[in-house]
Amino acid sequence: MTARKRPSARRSAGPSELDKKRGATLVPERRVVRVGDRDVPFLAGAVHYFRLERTEWRAALAEVAALGLPLVETYVPWAVHELAQGAFDFGPSQTPGGDPQKDLGAFLEIAKELGLFVVLRPGPHINSEMTWFGLPERVIHDRSCQARSPSGGPVVLGFPPRMFPVPSYASETFLAETNAWYAAFAEVVRPHVYPRGPVVLLQVDNEAAYYFRDAPYDQDYHPDAIALWHAYLRERHPTAADLGRAHDANYAEHTDCAPPKRFDLHDESDPATPPRALALHLEWAAFREHLIERAIVRMRDMLVSHGLGGVPTFHNLPLGELVAPMSLAKIEDTVGFVGLDYYHARREHRTIKRRTLYVAGTSRMPVSPELGVGAPPWFTPLAHEDSMYTAMVALAFGLRGFSLYMAVDRDRWYGAPIDSHGTPRIEAAAWKSLLRALETTRFHRLTRRVRVALVIPREYVRLARATHVYGPITPVTLEAVAGSPIEGASDHPLGFKGPIQVLWWKMLARFADALTRAGEPYVLVDSDASPERLAGIEAVITPAFELASPERWRALTTFAKEGGHVIFGPTMPSLDLTLSHRPFEVPRLGTRVLIDHDTDADAAIKTLLGHLSQSPRFSCPLPVEVCLHEDETGPRVLFVINPEKQAREACIALPYAVDTTDVMSGEHFSGDHELRMPMGPQSCRMLRVDRAARPDAAVMGDGAALGEAG
Amino acid sequence: MISSDIRIEGFDARSWTNLLSLFAPQVTERPKTAPRVSDAPEIDEAELAGEATHGTLFVVVTPGGRVLAARHTRKGRVRGLVYTGAGSLAMLGASHGASRVVVMREGALEEIVSRASARMERHDDYLAQWLTVIRAVRAAIEAGLVEIWPRPLANVPIPSAPVLARALDAVLPDERSTVLGVFSRTLPWTLVALRRSEGEIDRIVGPDVISRWTGPLGGDFRRDHRVISEAVGRHLAPVHLGIFADEQDLRALLRDPRPGAWARAVVARDIIVQPTPPYIAVALAADGMRAAAKRTESWIEGTAVRDVLSQIAPLGSFLRGRAAEVASVTQLLGFDPLKLLASWLEGAEEDPGKTVAGNPAPSDDDE
Repeated sequence: MTARKRPSARRSAGPSELDKKRGATLVPERRVVRVGDRDVPFLAGAVHYFRLERTEWRAALAEVAALGLPLVETYVPWAVHELAQGAFDFGPSQTPGGDPQKDLGAFLEIAKELGLFVVLRPGPHINSEMTWFGLPERVIHDRSCQARSPSGGPVVLGFPPRMFPVPSYASETFLAETNAWYAAFAEVVRPHVYPRGPVVLLQVDNEAAYYFRDAPYDQDYHPDAIALWHAYLRERHPTAADLGRAHDANYAEHTDCAPPKRFDLHDESDPATPPRALALHLEWAAFREHLIERAIVRMRDMLVSHGLGGVPTFHNLPLGELVAPMSLAKIEDTVGFVGLDYYHARREHRTIKRRTLYVAGTSRMPVSPELGVGAPPWFTPLAHEDSMYTAMVALAFGLRGFSLYMAVDRDRWYGAPIDSHGTPRIEAAAWKSLLRALETTRFHRLTRRVRVALVIPREYVRLARATHVYGPITPVTLEAVAGSPIEGASDHPLGFKGPIQVLWWKMLARFADALTRAGEPYVLVDSDASPERLAGIEAVITPAFELASPERWRALTTFAKEGGHVIFGPTMPSLDLTLSHRPFEVPRLGTRVLIDHDTDADAAIKTLLGHLSQSPRFSCPLPVEVCLHEDETGPRVLFVINPEKQAREACIALPYAVDTTDVMSGEHFSGDHELRMPMGPQSCRMLRVDRAARPDAAVMGDGAALGEAG
Repeated sequence: MISSDIRIEGFDARSWTNLLSLFAPQVTERPKTAPRVSDAPEIDEAELAGEATHGTLFVVVTPGGRVLAARHTRKGRVRGLVYTGAGSLAMLGASHGASRVVVMREGALEEIVSRASARMERHDDYLAQWLTVIRAVRAAIEAGLVEIWPRPLANVPIPSAPVLARALDAVLPDERSTVLGVFSRTLPWTLVALRRSEGEIDRIVGPDVISRWTGPLGGDFRRDHRVISEAVGRHLAPVHLGIFADEQDLRALLRDPRPGAWARAVVARDIIVQPTPPYIAVALAADGMRAAAKRTESWIEGTAVRDVLSQIAPLGSFLRGRAAEVASVTQLLGFDPLKLLASWLEGAEEDPGKTVAGNPAPSDDDE
């Protein structure tokens, strides 16, 4: 086939003198923060100054630097610094007679002295296992700040050591309180922003998923949220008549459209006709994403208004990002990048893989702002081996950076590599080896070549949420536990040929399986993501049923017109999101497939791969998986993963001869046609490619048949 | 009972998971179980067939009884399940390989959460908050919104928070601490100390902190226990209860249902209980008495009891005049917490029939 014309990724010019004066800048294409003349990859370690003895700060930060981390990260908790409304204690350097343990300025000075750059996370939500999640108790118990349940009651979160009513992301009172907190925070931080100080990144809020009470009809029915709902409807449907047509209802005013309080269409559904009222539920699911996005915009703007506009920003999503009521891609319209938080045991190999393929395919800078090293006492217990396996497997599938959370131990946490006195534990050595390898290979700049993307239709994600039947047990929790985003969805067909809210994932999962069986690397791309995310992709596979988003479909047909292959199915869509009939264009070169059996996906993938460009591949029989990372000079890193409990020998078929070194153990493995190596149970090797006899090296710019790498 | 300012610190990953594994081995083993090879967990319908009976089956039904969704905690989504009424739960469990079945009417969970949220008081502590939730769940069961099979705790009364606090007074009085020291050969395998202050558990510390207090240990828990208890007493609060043992022995004891197992271990110094608060002493002595009763077919009378008590003389001395204390805890709660814990641990194990010596547990245990 002819190579598809691809939209080029947005390129930023090199740092100008103005940039240097302005401070740090984000360069997502290089996956770095540009600080002066340095490219700093997102490799950080969390140290909570407010939980450590003041006398231990320097030792702790020195050990973080000794691990090989260029960045140190900390929350700045509102509840810790606020003494009373409008009165704050930021330690003696800011507040006469202040508590030395709260001296944020002094902490930043020490970090600067030690050559560390700093990432600050001022909340307002910080969780961090703090009582009230780091929010002042007076705010938590202010009724006007609280999120509301469908019955108007508080929405209580069951986290230890106290259940508490969570705030509303729509509450104007809460946002005003947040603004006041940000003002106080900014006053302390402004003098420490790069280049005057070490602060180079700010996180806007944290895991903005309705404080984990994110089930679709759980909240938020706060009066300010209802007002926002009506404004949202007005934006999308200019007149009440338009709105009525969309919902198949009679509204005199937009305000007549009450938000749904539960999914109540199970018994109304005509077996042969989807209920038009489904449009209302889909709109509510979309609105809940909008509510969070708007709050993030407001908070980002607050930080800018308080003089922190020059600092790049980011956000992090918790586990369950596929079903959480927010869109990674949309939030990236507001902040520099959005990453995923990882807290996984070894047995969750598939979840680690799936989440990484999603962030690698959807985010402009695929990193993990929290990679769990240890865990809170009330979380699934994680051993050092779990954390290390998670990190290495995530790197293998495309993560380009992480923050070790926690790097230094603290109250309500166990298992960090450095104890709370700044003494490295035995596990620190392994992290040091990994970080050294990431630095020497310049891992953040490498690429895992991918030709196929599985595109996740956001409208089906919303449908799965809208039909959630487990009440306040959130889809996010169910996804985190069970590893699939449709665990909470109803099985009811709702008048369609089958339950779309379940079947979409079944289709994607079967193709994911088939691609894995074929040894073909792929990524997961959210349909909300910018078309730039499909740069370099030759084929997309996406579910299609009777109902589909016209916008998604347009993007699909555009991709096909540019020469991309499209596999879709099992149904050609005919209904838009208001359940109205409309024509949908068949994608050029599109292949519609049925997916009744695994073998259907296998056959479709086999045909597809025959059409794609050919390139040398490293392959290994399952269950062992291999992931190759390259730069313009050739292969640099090869990951070999054994996800199973049994030890086994990996036998990797090579397209050309390579010499490699295991960056953790120092073992050398070489081969002309194959590499053999013992793999421990549930283990991952990161092999640095020391020499590769790649036949196309000259073409790729090596200038020599034997490219030296490493 | 649990402070909102509770501090938990001083554990590395190993010592924390070791501690948990004593009481919940399935939790710490779970992270190590192998994942399925498939990238598609929810389509492994084949796994639904032929597996042993484990896990919980959750079913959501409409008010009319139509199944909206069902999921098995170990097998994922279950399709095609038919619910025929409250009497069918046992059959559902058997046919889907679940040891528990929970059927919820649509909206039941919302009702439970709404009811519990409305009844929580601002100054309730975490335990009181959970008791409110448990009461809301029970109310939902009684209203027919939720059906559970089986219901082993159906007859266990739900105590109030003040009652639990009074029970805790006997087990861990205010401004006192308790210590657990578990060794593996000559090394501390896990150490934990917790303190109660102003009525609430406010501090839990692990080996990192305790070893800073003690300095280097000798490696024999039979001697080190004094050093540990003194250090904890000095830095945290006077120790009310200290338990020190070898990891293997303690793990086995926690699961040994035979009468007298604990008493024998104390006498043999396989486990050090020092200091020994009255409640524990009485429990241990009673344990010895049950063993004696088992052997002599008599109970609290005759010379057999005196013989046994003479064997466990250090414990027997605690019994005198303190029967009221042990009775008070059980009477306050309406159930014996230790018995409940043992029963839970037994049920949680893959192989509950094993005892401390690896022998099958006696099946005629009348306890």
